[in-house]
Amino acid sequence: MKTATLNKSDIGKCIDLLVQSDLRVIAPRLQPRLDDEGTDSIDVLTFTEVDSGNDHQVGEGLLPLNGVKEFLFAKHEPLFAYEKRGKKVEIIPVHHEYPQTVIIGVRPCDAASIASLESVFSDANAGFEDPFFTERRSRTTFITYSCTAPDASCFCTSVDLAPDSSKGSDLHLTELGDGRLHVEVITEAGEAVAKKLEALLEGEGDQAAREKAGASVHEKLTRLRNSAPIMDWLMDTANFDDEMWQRLGEKCIGCGSCTFVCPTCHCFDIVDENKGSKGYRVKFWDSCQFDHFTLHASGHNPRDWQYKRYRNRFNCKFKIYPEKFETQGCVGCGRCIRACPVNLDITEYMAEVAHKAANPNAMKADSDFE
Amino acid sequence: MIEQIRNQARKLLEDGDVDVVIGYAEGSDPARTTPVFIRKAEDVDKLIYDPRCINSLPLYLNKRHEYTRKGWKKTAIIGKGCDIRAIVQLIAENQLKRDEIYILGVPCEGQVSHPEKWDGSLHDGNRASKCIGCDVMTPHETDFFPGDKPDVDRSNPYEVTSPKVANLMELELDKRFAFWRTDFDRCFKCYACREVCPHCSCNVCITDETTPSWIDPAAHKKGVFSWHLTRAMHLVGRCTGCGECTRACPMDIQVDLFNQRMKEVVQESYSYKPGYSLEDKHPLITYQVDDREDFIK
Repeated sequence: MKTATLNKSDIGKCIDLLVQSDLRVIAPRLQPRLDDEGTDSIDVLTFTEVDSGNDHQVGEGLLPLNGVKEFLFAKHEPLFAYEKRGKKVEIIPVHHEYPQTVIIGVRPCDAASIASLESVFSDANAGFEDPFFTERRSRTTFITYSCTAPDASCFCTSVDLAPDSSKGSDLHLTELGDGRLHVEVITEAGEAVAKKLEALLEGEGDQAAREKAGASVHEKLTRLRNSAPIMDWLMDTANFDDEMWQRLGEKCIGCGSCTFVCPTCHCFDIVDENKGSKGYRVKFWDSCQFDHFTLHASGHNPRDWQYKRYRNRFNCKFKIYPEKFETQGCVGCGRCIRACPVNLDITEYMAEVAHKAANPNAMKADSDFE
Repeated sequence: MIEQIRNQARKLLEDGDVDVVIGYAEGSDPARTTPVFIRKAEDVDKLIYDPRCINSLPLYLNKRHEYTRKGWKKTAIIGKGCDIRAIVQLIAENQLKRDEIYILGVPCEGQVSHPEKWDGSLHDGNRASKCIGCDVMTPHETDFFPGDKPDVDRSNPYEVTSPKVANLMELELDKRFAFWRTDFDRCFKCYACREVCPHCSCNVCITDETTPSWIDPAAHKKGVFSWHLTRAMHLVGRCTGCGECTRACPMDIQVDLFNQRMKEVVQESYSYKPGYSLEDKHPLITYQVDDREDFIK
């Protein structure tokens, strides 16, 4: 593997070089604010397209609110247009732009989620490919950046990842603590980007310093859960009706925040946006936390309580993903914990399952439902 | 203070006067608290109250959250003043009956605007702007209150205390529009602003209606603007200003700025503040013969 070093202060110049190479560059950026907004405002960090290296937060802050999902799996996009003429309906293809893109400053958890999305949208074994996703994916290069300051909601080390992991990365950067970054070229796409940045890259990387820097961040992750027994416990169908689901899930209000900010949640809906006799068929993000997500036309709803909807989300992360797609459903970014307005915490479920798996004969609590 | 609340909650549960006490407990990390449902007297020590208890709990009394299906006939709820305003508004809108609810009022010193801004104390740097000028820090409608409940003058008009509302209103129209366009660009329509609102009571929200589809469900500009403006309009004269819609927004869009501005408009037009009287109907669902007509052209 090729390595090099780069001055952290040269990241702006890197972005400039990439922009000058006619690449679309996405980077973490602070949203502009009005003056004097009072205590109700906080800094809003999001992945946004940048047109120069002057205004970026690569390596600063922790996680942009939006993650990189929306740049591969669009929040909304037309599948085709249609027009009714008499009794005939004409289907009109819609032109999509798929610009060559570099996303810089991606944290390891977000990078790891890309393989998960790929397993859903481009399943080589099943022979299914979502053209919108795969076209974007094939034109997107990820420059990742090891974490230095995980917060109390981070738990990547509980799901077999690490704050300095290069999984899913094309070009990986790690701070060495002396103003320099260790650069690792992981893939051919990363190599191509590294070539464009050649003028700023120096010699060889410092592998020993990189390992040391990475290890020092591991210690800062305090939210540790044992995820190993979760899948087996979920596979036991008797546990589908365990009392835990109601007890922990009853405060859930079904707002769907956790699914929308989740880097691996991928459910979508399709509607016709009609205007007169023509319109578009549009695909857009949906959420399993909505009460009408599983509502049948008959009026029956198999997930008739909110706790059952959250049970589905947990099963999707720790059973459906690994079983059906053979990838990981949770990357430990902690966004769902930060976003939840009622402090429903996925790691509490993880801890509870690990506990139950270790104590299969524990007393069952009373149910307050039904 | 919290000891008196716990004792009363214990007594209510032991005597069978209520089925459940809805309150706050410590959350999953030190900055956060969480809503908790206490059903057994021995669990009342989980209850806490401090400036981190920012959730508006009356949300769980909204029929949309189906508390009645849980078999709860009478519910006790810990309420700070602004939340009790939400309860009063729910009762005024016939969403709730007064005798189904036992209100454990708490004296409030204000709330922190964001849990991550909590540093062990409440001060000007982290106090939510909704708390400035609050006239229900000693709550108005309670069944139990720890200590004496002093009389408070609540006749003053409602004040908009977020400096951002004033800032926005001073902007030229096109700049104000540009501000919302930028902020709404982040919206992906998770509807957290709706689900967290104590006053969103519709069985089927207008945005979930499909025949016809009134509001495009996709998060493009049209879908996002029509959703947020409709939401704001549906809350005119009803919003009690808990600010939960903004707090719950995972993309940090300050959607309650609309509601704050609308409150000013209702105040100016009808001298009405929602959530203070169990009987008063909000101005947009009632009329008086001497209502203003000069705006009808």
